[in-house]
Amino acid sequence: MLVVDLTSGRMRRVEIPPELLSAYLGGRGLGVRMLRGPHRLSPFDPAMPLIFATGPLCGTPAPTSARLSVVSRSPLTGTAYDCSAGGRFAFRLRAAGLFAIRIEGKSARPVALAVTSAGEEILPADALWGKTVGQAVRALSGRGSVAAIGPAGENGVLFSNIMMGEGNAVGRGGLGAVMGAKNLKAVVLDGDLPTPIADRERFDRARADVMRLFRASPVIFGELGISEYGTPALVDLMHQRRMAPTSNFRRTVFDGSGAYSGPAIRAAYGAEKEGCFGCPIRCKKRASDGRPLPEYETVSHFGALNDISDLHAIVRSNDACNDFGMDTISAAATLSAWGESRGRFPSPDEVVPLLADIAFRRGEGDLLAQGSRRMAEALGRPELSMSVKSLELPAYDPRGAYGMALAYCTSNRGGCHLRAYPVSHEILRKPIASDRFSFSGKARMIKIAEDVNAAVDSLVACKFAFFGASLEEYAELLAGVTGERHVPQGLKEIGERICLTERFYNAENGFIRADDDLPARFFREPGSEGDGIEVPPIDRARFGEELTKYYRIRGLSDDGSFPDPAFLDKQP
Amino acid sequence: MRKMIEKYAVKLLRDRSAAPGRVGFAAQDDRMVEGGAPDLSRLAADVLSRLSCLGMVAAAPSLPFPELLVRRSPAGSSALVPLDTETRTFLHDIPFLRRGELGADPAGKIAALLSNRKGAIAEGIGIFGAGTVTLEQAYIHYSSVHHAAYVKYLMDVLQDGFLLPEEEEAFQAFREEHLTAPSAEGLHFRPGPLEEPGEILAEIAAIGRYTVERGLVDSCFGNISYRAGGTIYISQTAAALDELAGCVDPVPDDNRSTAGITASSELPAHRRIYEATGARAILHGHPKFAVAMSMLCGEEGCPVKDCWKDCPRVRMLGDTPVVAGEIGAGGLAASVRRVIGASGKAVVYGHGVFTVGREGFEEAFRAMAGVEAMCREEYFRRLDARRRAGPGQSKSE
Repeated sequence: MLVVDLTSGRMRRVEIPPELLSAYLGGRGLGVRMLRGPHRLSPFDPAMPLIFATGPLCGTPAPTSARLSVVSRSPLTGTAYDCSAGGRFAFRLRAAGLFAIRIEGKSARPVALAVTSAGEEILPADALWGKTVGQAVRALSGRGSVAAIGPAGENGVLFSNIMMGEGNAVGRGGLGAVMGAKNLKAVVLDGDLPTPIADRERFDRARADVMRLFRASPVIFGELGISEYGTPALVDLMHQRRMAPTSNFRRTVFDGSGAYSGPAIRAAYGAEKEGCFGCPIRCKKRASDGRPLPEYETVSHFGALNDISDLHAIVRSNDACNDFGMDTISAAATLSAWGESRGRFPSPDEVVPLLADIAFRRGEGDLLAQGSRRMAEALGRPELSMSVKSLELPAYDPRGAYGMALAYCTSNRGGCHLRAYPVSHEILRKPIASDRFSFSGKARMIKIAEDVNAAVDSLVACKFAFFGASLEEYAELLAGVTGERHVPQGLKEIGERICLTERFYNAENGFIRADDDLPARFFREPGSEGDGIEVPPIDRARFGEELTKYYRIRGLSDDGSFPDPAFLDKQP
Repeated sequence: MRKMIEKYAVKLLRDRSAAPGRVGFAAQDDRMVEGGAPDLSRLAADVLSRLSCLGMVAAAPSLPFPELLVRRSPAGSSALVPLDTETRTFLHDIPFLRRGELGADPAGKIAALLSNRKGAIAEGIGIFGAGTVTLEQAYIHYSSVHHAAYVKYLMDVLQDGFLLPEEEEAFQAFREEHLTAPSAEGLHFRPGPLEEPGEILAEIAAIGRYTVERGLVDSCFGNISYRAGGTIYISQTAAALDELAGCVDPVPDDNRSTAGITASSELPAHRRIYEATGARAILHGHPKFAVAMSMLCGEEGCPVKDCWKDCPRVRMLGDTPVVAGEIGAGGLAASVRRVIGASGKAVVYGHGVFTVGREGFEEAFRAMAGVEAMCREEYFRRLDARRRAGPGQSKSE
């Protein structure tokens, strides 16, 4: 691991204790473990680490594993925070001979960190400060794969991203602002060191099993799946299921969604396949001019959530967020809440100028840059923020999937769909369908899925792989790489340790049961019924009952607290 | 949870995969819920409490095949490796414990197997199926193990004969008492062509139920579709064929909507078959004798190792072609398309049978029942010939 102190400029390569890798795998788990101690610091405290951590599969041909997690404390949510990202950056990190980079301190001047297998250096970046992500990437790409912040990160926008040069984002929780607070504009990596595989035959067999399952999955390689259409393949499905958040979650069906569906984007932009390094799925889509095309969450939130059905305007909004280095979900949701507060959602032509105002914190953009919760509170309309723990909800209306409703609240990083990802079984029927309008069994399902996904985020693999494969096959891949025995149950137990550690950090930072709650709208107002589907408000009492069950299953007290205050001391 | 337990207890008996009175369930919510035979449900709960799973099925199979396979396995082996598609793709192998290995803590031993696999066999107890997400998933994994063991036993007996003293008698009972003739008699089919979506959906639901009831597929395998007005109405992925109401996706031919992303993984095969045949109805099931027979190949000295995906030949089971190809996007669609036009039916190596109906489902259903009946007849003809020939005759024809 490379440890960088930007205050002093000192850098050193250190060994990661093997017992920590055994107990936390890598990626999210390792990052969360390394956050122990500084987890109580302010996200903008120079001593707060910003950790880039790959997993044990990175650098191998394990499908979807050229990924890393970036871990710190979120300035938007105040929670422990991690985000998994693909592209080529993670692969280059391993090829530079590193498993992780831990960055602390604050540089006196803007800098970039350049790392190769031969060594590392801190470069002056005054000339890059103020530049867009695209400009910074172009300036540095001769040195390797780039992760950079844009003006939003520099200016402390609470939902600013770290952007990979290939268009992938370290999104949602504002880690771009943490990087910006360190005066770190970019990290650029290069190298050519291979990652060893201990048991090649075992690894190859497991890889073949994974690929067979990918081919058997309609969501992955089906003719209507994400390999063909990218995640916007979900637009039509969410419309049909009547759970597409519309008009700041006042409705759940948007009649104009066909304008930005997967087929519509393909027709308008060509949508060539693009993937993270070595990924066989290649769900990213790129326009014929090379621009990354928006994901499902982005088209739905810049679309339905803001009552916009102009595809080109949505694509421009996506471009702007990518260039300014901002999270599309939070940006669009904050604009939507603001739109409801003033009685009018932004018009298609108003969105990009507003995004620029946010990134540079000009005019009303300064307020919007704080995210929907702080913005709505400042306007005296806190009920308009559709967020959990200040993280704006993505494009799955919780009234249409009760596991999702619960998972938004139990997620340690706030209102995120990816922690437990119940959309997989409640909507996409993988690995099996569950009743989306029932809470029965959901507490257990969410707990297990959170543990599984914490392990997946620590391997680090892409969650889309699990629309086909399971931990069974990924445990075998891990066994092939390490030469040690791994089984799914053991990985789930590691995932459980990670989830509880994150929750403990949050509890120490003042999070309580009341923070594990949805906006009141979902308990009071119905969604948009039709086509034989009713979308009633969520039953608050039943929701609360299931949340209590979740705590009990997790070994917590009924108020969500830890019965053992020494929990953390007992963890490796 | 209790309702789910009752539902799957009924299904396991109705599909005759479990012995009456020998089915146990456990499900974890914030508390453990048990149901069924007390000894089995207690054991299931004990196993489940050691795993990060929601549900568990523990049942004695109605046929002794899984147990016999364990006893036939060479000393030192610890898993069955069936070659049918379900096992190869989803289960990989089926670990087992012999009676003497269960020790003082059988639950611990079984949990250790299920920490790494979806299903397992414990000699003297039965099959265990684990469900991480739902109890239905545990039921499916039980069914998968049952299906795989059934097919493997058929093949092993044909290839190696009876190895244990009581096998012949047990197999005779299976042949004479357990098996029922696959047929369409007594079923009602809507005559095609069907045009109204409501009528199509109702017929698909009825045919799915028939297919399960007549033993041509286990509940959660197989798929079914009907094409009308530029739209394919197809069962959803992971849908139980006997519970298709609300689980059929309309998929337009021109892909103007991707709402059918939840359609069966065999959508590509259905599309290619419609293109090749002009048929209106397609039925895909996993009848066990057809699956077993599709894997019996007499080719000597063949260099192909992964027959299920690499075999380039078109073999014949009677008048039904057998082709290779993996499921979903794995090549099956192209290989079936190539051969199904002539007879309206095709068998995929180790996987199952596709049949078509030019107007409605009756033709497809009768064709599938006919393929299974023919394969069954041929199986027993070969078995009887082998027995007449005596020990040493090990290669199928």
